[in-house]
Amino acid sequence: MTKVTIRNLTKIYGQAIKAVDSISLEIPSGEFVSLLGPSGCGKTTTLKMLAGFESVTSGSIAFDGDDVVAVPPEGRDIGMVFQNYALFPHMTVRGNLAFGLEMRKVPKAEMQRRIDATLDLVQLGPYADRYPRQLSGGQQQRVAIGRALVIEPRILLLDEPLANLDAKLREEMRVFIRDLQRRVGITTVYVTHDQAEAMTMSDRVVVMFGGKIAQQAPPSDIYDYPVSREVAGFVGQVNFIDGFVASVDGDLACIETPFGPAEVPAKTRGRGSAVTLALRPEAIDIVPDTAGHGIPATVVSSYFSGAILDYTLAMADGTKVDVKTIARTRFEPGAQVRLSVDAHRFWPIEAA
Amino acid sequence: MARQALNIYSVIIYIFLLLPIAVVVGASFNSGEFLTFPPQGFSLRWYVAFLNNEVFMRAIRTSLWIAAVAMVVSGIIGTMAAVYYVNYAARSKETIRIAMLSPLLLPEVLTAISLLFFVYAVGIGTTTMFGLLVGHVLITLPFVFMNVTSSLEGYDPDWSMAAQSLGASRWTRFRRITLPLIKPGVFSGCLFAFVISFDVFTISFMLKSIGSSTLPIQLFDYLKTNYTPEAAAVSTVSIVVTILVVIISEKVLGLRVHRF
Ligand SMILES: Nc1ncnc2c1ncn2[C@@H]1O[C@H](COP(=O)(O)OP(=O)(O)O)[C@@H](O)[C@H]1O
Ligand SMILES: [Mg+2]
Repeated sequence: MTKVTIRNLTKIYGQAIKAVDSISLEIPSGEFVSLLGPSGCGKTTTLKMLAGFESVTSGSIAFDGDDVVAVPPEGRDIGMVFQNYALFPHMTVRGNLAFGLEMRKVPKAEMQRRIDATLDLVQLGPYADRYPRQLSGGQQQRVAIGRALVIEPRILLLDEPLANLDAKLREEMRVFIRDLQRRVGITTVYVTHDQAEAMTMSDRVVVMFGGKIAQQAPPSDIYDYPVSREVAGFVGQVNFIDGFVASVDGDLACIETPFGPAEVPAKTRGRGSAVTLALRPEAIDIVPDTAGHGIPATVVSSYFSGAILDYTLAMADGTKVDVKTIARTRFEPGAQVRLSVDAHRFWPIEAA
Repeated sequence: MARQALNIYSVIIYIFLLLPIAVVVGASFNSGEFLTFPPQGFSLRWYVAFLNNEVFMRAIRTSLWIAAVAMVVSGIIGTMAAVYYVNYAARSKETIRIAMLSPLLLPEVLTAISLLFFVYAVGIGTTTMFGLLVGHVLITLPFVFMNVTSSLEGYDPDWSMAAQSLGASRWTRFRRITLPLIKPGVFSGCLFAFVISFDVFTISFMLKSIGSSTLPIQLFDYLKTNYTPEAAAVSTVSIVVTILVVIISEKVLGLRVHRF
């Protein structure tokens, strides 16, 4: 398997459009990495440079230490899955899978064996002799993945492969692709603007904004310990809470907030300095007003969405707070409630 | 009501367009000496005369040969031009389109005269059939270009990219992916090229070399001095050849002729 090393990779379109701005990334062999970010942040451009379809303005890309910047796509040995699948319409499923093997002059017998094995892998055995137009979206997607994998490429690249599928199928395919990737053990770069997709599938999420990497970390770290407002906001709903440093005790700082004290890792700021904290909506508990403890608040709205309730509440000073709870008792708009937060659930974002 | 009126109107137009052809075909079976309609009795004698007429037979061979060459050359150049136009031409796109279609836009006689001056200016002249072939390629090129361009509009560039990522070189991508997928456009373009070349008069008239009369030219020459049903027989054969080419291509190659 292949380790991918990207150093100071930059792509400038025309004179001034910096689509990718000096990104550096090390992808260990067998890892599943997602490039996550809003539309236009440079994900596709990065992927195309990895595949060789887009020239590199500066910087380097190496597979297992070999620089591949000068190697054309047909020589890079990559498996690529396109958003609209790009299956060859004039070839059957088997023909699509055979194409890459024919390019590699794989002997007939081995070719059959590998195609059959791959058809099993993507659960398309019975569909081998169908044409792409005779398959459903999900099946076409699996053909596209099979076609990319059958050549046993060094790395697998996927650009928003689930964007054209309906919600239910999309969730099934997430699990399918993730399982497949684990079984094959191939180094994978997955581009998406859907945070849930990136979170559920990846070993590591690389969040990009404006051509730059904002943060790269395992999904739970991205979610719990975002480095900036943008990252925190992009990977899920979040409340930003203003507070100030009340005391510093070794590695821990105690922050005074409207929700009571918060304990966060100490940064270099001294006592009294202002800090912005991120607080996830599900980290807040709502209890009835009669409980007698917690911060008073009023329910502004509550929406039921199956397993969870989405609340917006107003604090005494008018500040709005988003809260998610599992749907048990439901507080109606206008109800007086109290909020309680575990001091450890806060996370400091750069001071505003 | 309105629909019925339209139907009747359409039928009348078709009759108006097709009647002369029917008259020519009818006249070719004349047993009399003169080109008259309705024919005086039924006979195939003028077809026999045509088949025995060495001049006409040479002309039809010349026409078929030129049409075949024009079709192949136009097919190749027109397809390449269309591929370039759709995939690579950026700012020059409009210029290329107009240049490619200009043989259709300009009066044929103007194209023919300019070309005549040109072949003499560059020393090709009309002693060989080369200039004539160039003219036929030129006049048939827009048909290939238009047909291939329209089938390329439905071609997803990701198909080529997918093939490339699977290891296919540029030529392999063209041969295995692009060409098969734009084949209907290429074939109907070539079909048009063949039929147009077989039919073209002015270009051939200006650029023909000694002994390279095409069928339309020979027919024209013949009609200057003769007025027998043999001319109708020649015309009928030429119509039948055209229709046969269309039918055979559709049936044998299994083509639907595409939208423009
Ligand atoms: N071929 C191109 N020419 C000029 N600008 C481009 C081109 N491709 C992409 N861009 C620009 O580069 C930026 C990044 O694009 P892209 O990588 O496609 O973003 P993403 O995939 O994250 O949505 C965008 O601002 C886009 O407009
Ligand atoms: Mg994109």
